[in-house]
Amino acid sequence: MTVNTAHEASGTTLSEQSALGAHAPRTQRTGRSLPFNDELHLEAHRWLVDEAYLLDEQDYDEWLSRIADDMHYLMPVRVTTALGAGYSTSPGMAHMDENKYSLSRRVARFATEHAWTEDPPSRLRHYVTNVRTFRTEKADEIIAESAVLLFRSRGDVGEAATVSAGREDLLRRTATGWQLARRTIMLDEAVIRMQNLAIFL
Amino acid sequence: MTDQTSVIQDVQRGMIPAHIYNDKEIFELEKERLFGRSWLFVAHESEVPEAGDYVVRRVLEDSFIISRDEKGEIRALFNMCLHRGMQVCRAEMGNASHFRCPYHGWSYRNDGRIVGLPFHKEAYGGEEGFKKKGQTLLPAPSLGIYNGLIFISLDPDAEPLEDFLGDFKFYMDYYTKQSADGIELRGPQRWRVKANWKIGAENFAGDMYHTPQTHTSVVEIGLFREPKAEKRKDGTTYWAGNGGGTTYKLPEGSLEDRLRYVGYPDEMIGRMKEQWTQQQLDVVGKDGFMVSAASLFPNMSFVHNWPRVEEGSDEVLPFISIRMWQPISENETEVLSWFAVDKNASEEYKALSYKAYLMCFGSGGMFEQDDVENWVSLTNTAAGSMARRLLLNGRMGLLEDGQNVVEPLTAKEYSGPGSTRIGYSEYNQRELLFRWADHLERPVQAAAQLHVGIDPVQAGAVAGGDAAPSVGSAATVPAAMMSQEA
Ligand code: FES
Ligand SMILES: [Fe+2]
Repeated sequence: MTVNTAHEASGTTLSEQSALGAHAPRTQRTGRSLPFNDELHLEAHRWLVDEAYLLDEQDYDEWLSRIADDMHYLMPVRVTTALGAGYSTSPGMAHMDENKYSLSRRVARFATEHAWTEDPPSRLRHYVTNVRTFRTEKADEIIAESAVLLFRSRGDVGEAATVSAGREDLLRRTATGWQLARRTIMLDEAVIRMQNLAIFL
Repeated sequence: MTDQTSVIQDVQRGMIPAHIYNDKEIFELEKERLFGRSWLFVAHESEVPEAGDYVVRRVLEDSFIISRDEKGEIRALFNMCLHRGMQVCRAEMGNASHFRCPYHGWSYRNDGRIVGLPFHKEAYGGEEGFKKKGQTLLPAPSLGIYNGLIFISLDPDAEPLEDFLGDFKFYMDYYTKQSADGIELRGPQRWRVKANWKIGAENFAGDMYHTPQTHTSVVEIGLFREPKAEKRKDGTTYWAGNGGGTTYKLPEGSLEDRLRYVGYPDEMIGRMKEQWTQQQLDVVGKDGFMVSAASLFPNMSFVHNWPRVEEGSDEVLPFISIRMWQPISENETEVLSWFAVDKNASEEYKALSYKAYLMCFGSGGMFEQDDVENWVSLTNTAAGSMARRLLLNGRMGLLEDGQNVVEPLTAKEYSGPGSTRIGYSEYNQRELLFRWADHLERPVQAAAQLHVGIDPVQAGAVAGGDAAPSVGSAATVPAAMMSQEA
């Protein structure tokens, strides 16, 4: 059994299974990953790298402007289960299961002067790698998969925190550029070793 | 080990030696004298609804399999193989009729009984050598269940769970018994924070004072309308039995109006009216208070809040969360945070309530983010030698001569049990720390040992008969007494 970033063994995507994913776009990948010199792959890769810089700089207003209105942002809770159990995420529970409105509240909060957890701000570095891209049944939508490692340092000598995850993104071409319409984040730890998720992956 | 008498005495008069929030020796004492015998929450029955369902939970370093056996009974089994001590179950949840040890293949039913012991006859000489019959994985010394909440204690002589909970049960029902079928629990989210475990428990128990300051941002973005300073201090703190919490003052209106105000739909209100006692209804309908955060000694907490979860609507929706502050070390805590919802609520309500939870509390919650930042910082600051010179004043609500700033509400003013006051105070944090000090002061008895597979009194010599017979201490429980019918 293989479990990739967005599917559990039952066959349906985690986005479809999630408690708050009813509004999410359902577009799925087709075929094999695109060659690395394919124009679509190059655009997806560029989008992800640009996004990583935005997230490092905590430029969340700009980030939000690149998010589609029907966005589903899902970060399931990973659980350790026996080989063959058929699932590796906590049934019905996620760390984040967001639509554009709830993401916008998170962004708005950072913009207040009272989001203490990021004052002073963290030093963030999102490392994005292992990018591959797929066509979908829709001409203006592609799937991009990537690995992300976040390094987050607060204060002076306190131990930095890292989070490693795989992501599956649905990117949609619009008049103003590509927008993120669905993201499923598979953390690589069952217990997060970071004081909170006042970050985006 | 350093004598902690003065620390205990300081705490008993409401002063807090700052280093107790980051002190290795204190932590060792907590492990032995507090977590070694207190009732501790491990799981809820709804996490293991079917026969064979299990979750694995820890009490400090000890791993327990919490399972529902084939007869439907809840078990808490120490997750260590009776042969050479391998961890038997290494998944954290699942469904199994048996657990098979990966090392040499001993296997156990989901009620703990040994069923398979490879080469029992050839290797041990059968029952003569190893009494397999009646052997079970070591059960938690005490187990108790209230409203489906499963607690264990490492003390075989622990007082009955319901006695321990006492009048706090009255308040637990608001969170866990909104209808006859109670709650279902989802999660937990688990994450580790570099903060001492006591800080969160104290905060949830009674810290209304921090809300207007720490949580300004969630009011500013329109997520929550309540924490404004004036509003928060109109609420109460209560302490009852071994737990206590905070409430918000509700606007004028009937019971139904007030439950609607926090977002409960009428069908849920109907079930609450059937389920709760008149006094429980009166706290809301007559006195006008709604429970918010609470803690049960030593490290379990509850949250009930009612944020706005949808765009362009003023409607709020309540959510409930249950959590454990699982101590890892003197400066690290694993938080386990569950979402709880009434089993009989509609699917639509459950989804929105879950959304409310995710936005406010838990690993990504916007309330929680700022809390943890403070607690990590506090823990850091408590590590050094200067913190040892500082006795923090934990006496809010008391004058220097011990008089109350605000007197408790009378039976006429308030319908619930325990001691309840309007406004800011630290009575509840003190109640927690008083109990903490009581435990730390009291030495523990040596625990009984189980001699696996042999009778410790009659057991013959080992090593071909040359060595001394095994010595059973006075506290030893003969294996036969530990047996259960096979
Ligand atoms: S340690 Fe479990 S079978 Fe040997
Ligand atoms: Fe708080």
